[in-house]
Amino acid sequence: MRQALQRLAAWCYQYSSQVCIPAGRHGLFLETGASERLLGPSEYIGKRLQQELMQLGYCSMTGSAPTPEAAWLAAREGLHIAGPEQIRRQIGPLALSRLHLESAQQKALERMGFRQVRDLLRLPRKALTRRFGPALPDYLDRVLGVRPDPRAMYQPPESFSSRLDLPAEVHTSQGLLFPLKRMLEELCGVLRGGDNAVQSVQITLGHEADDDSLLPLGLQSPAQDSDRMVTVLRERLERLRLPRAVRTIRLEAPTLLKFNAGQHSLFRDTPAEQKQDIEQLAERLQARLGRDSVSGLTGVEDHRPEHSWRPRALGERADCIAQPHRPAWLLLHPRRCMIRDYEILAGPERIESGWWDGRDCRRDYFIVRDRHGSTLWAYREYKPGRGWYLHGIFG
Amino acid sequence: MTSLSTLLNTTPHLWKGRQPGQGQRACPTGHAHLDAHLPGHGWPLGAVTELISAKPGLGEFRLLFQALADTGKQGQWVILVDPPWIPYPASLQGHGLLLERLLLVRTGDARESLWACEQALRNGRGGAVLAWPEQISFARLRRLQIAAENSAKLAFLFRPENAAREASPAALRLQLEAGERYGTLIHILKCRGSRPPQPVWIHAPLTRNINTALAGNPLFAITPGPGHPRPKQR
Repeated sequence: MRQALQRLAAWCYQYSSQVCIPAGRHGLFLETGASERLLGPSEYIGKRLQQELMQLGYCSMTGSAPTPEAAWLAAREGLHIAGPEQIRRQIGPLALSRLHLESAQQKALERMGFRQVRDLLRLPRKALTRRFGPALPDYLDRVLGVRPDPRAMYQPPESFSSRLDLPAEVHTSQGLLFPLKRMLEELCGVLRGGDNAVQSVQITLGHEADDDSLLPLGLQSPAQDSDRMVTVLRERLERLRLPRAVRTIRLEAPTLLKFNAGQHSLFRDTPAEQKQDIEQLAERLQARLGRDSVSGLTGVEDHRPEHSWRPRALGERADCIAQPHRPAWLLLHPRRCMIRDYEILAGPERIESGWWDGRDCRRDYFIVRDRHGSTLWAYREYKPGRGWYLHGIFG
Repeated sequence: MTSLSTLLNTTPHLWKGRQPGQGQRACPTGHAHLDAHLPGHGWPLGAVTELISAKPGLGEFRLLFQALADTGKQGQWVILVDPPWIPYPASLQGHGLLLERLLLVRTGDARESLWACEQALRNGRGGAVLAWPEQISFARLRRLQIAAENSAKLAFLFRPENAAREASPAALRLQLEAGERYGTLIHILKCRGSRPPQPVWIHAPLTRNINTALAGNPLFAITPGPGHPRPKQR
């Protein structure tokens, strides 16, 4: 319960910068006065909170008042007390059992015949103090706003971790989509609250007897919105085979990074946005097809054509010399051929290299045309072997 | 109030008899001689172009260099989905493509390849996607075309010779054939908005001495040929 409250507090950080987890109670205090201009009156905030928490799977009641304790009482009834002068009037009719008092005090008050809060409020302070000690009148003062009620504020954590015990065993990976979506939504709420983003999330699926299954989700760049993560999750789940039924799910985001929002234009055609779109495409493809399925290209300083390129990660710079007289395509492996089948159009271009890694070669390259009319790149090898090979296609 | 003729002129999909479809947004091919014969005077933007050739190396990829270079310059990406060979970065760089904005996708499976192609076409706005599907159904082609339309992309599919006989919803279908004097003959099998015009002859003179090429002269120049050979008898 404590952990759930901690997570919820982090999630509520989107709505208020002052969140407090009161000790011993199943609830949270949020300061919303400062957010009223942005989010609307407290009633709206309360309703919105309730709806969004419902989507995450939490049932909640909300209420608001100028003081924390009065708000606690109001939440039970779903009241929204507008001003300090109305506190007395609105909580007066509530039953005494609603007050946050010790059970011994509650029983004593009931025996004395008090039923409603207003009965208690009408009593003189001195009598109350004499009978019940200073704590009770102090509490009443804090409810009414006569005394200030400072609270220790919640500090959002540096990482996120949540755990869900599934109500029934899940046998198919598709069945995990719904609970995981919810957990990711919760994570994103926490991220938004703290202005953070994540680039990788670790999901652990607990089985009854076997070891946990791990499902890491990686993104190309830090993200705050759940749609991107759900897209990657969907692809991974489609590929996932569950050895056994899943009973618990744990979601961890060990490092929270700072989030840079960036500008959004209407047509998404700035280079930065194009890059974002490509990153999302790459995420999607890699989630389904593997990390190596998507890459860029860059040049390598080597005279031998087959070694003069390599795949590069998208974030890496591309660096290559320009050689327009070379073919657009290289065959995966040079293919032996008979030069008499081809007509030589241009050449030779001597390439001699590679003595330092033991794969040295001496070749004369020619642009050739075959009897079908295709323009190809062939070479005559002098070292290490001898013969004619096809190496490229001038597409 | 706009006049009727203005309306008719600007509606993109209206077929108007002899004139090629105006209003087709297009990306210039860089070969003026070819542009003159294409609706919109270029590669159709937001639609699929099929390039059919019996064998690779007839110039089907070379035709795209200008358009792909322009795509990169505009800050958009070129995506190659499962090319059958290795793209040679030095050559692509030499022809003006921006390596920074080139993405290579390798799936190793025909179905996944088509899926990746569709994802690439659906993603974002602008750019070009190139694919080499061995086999693709009419319905799938249609989906790719719709995806290209929605994201205003250039889509190029390189297909084997037998594809020429199949029906296709692609906006533009070109078939390339080796011609005389080291040139290539391009048959326009289908284009939007008009009856396909005469075949286009692309002449590609090559220098015998590669040193001249290395000195910076373009190796391949596309110029109108000395005379149009007669179209192939069907």
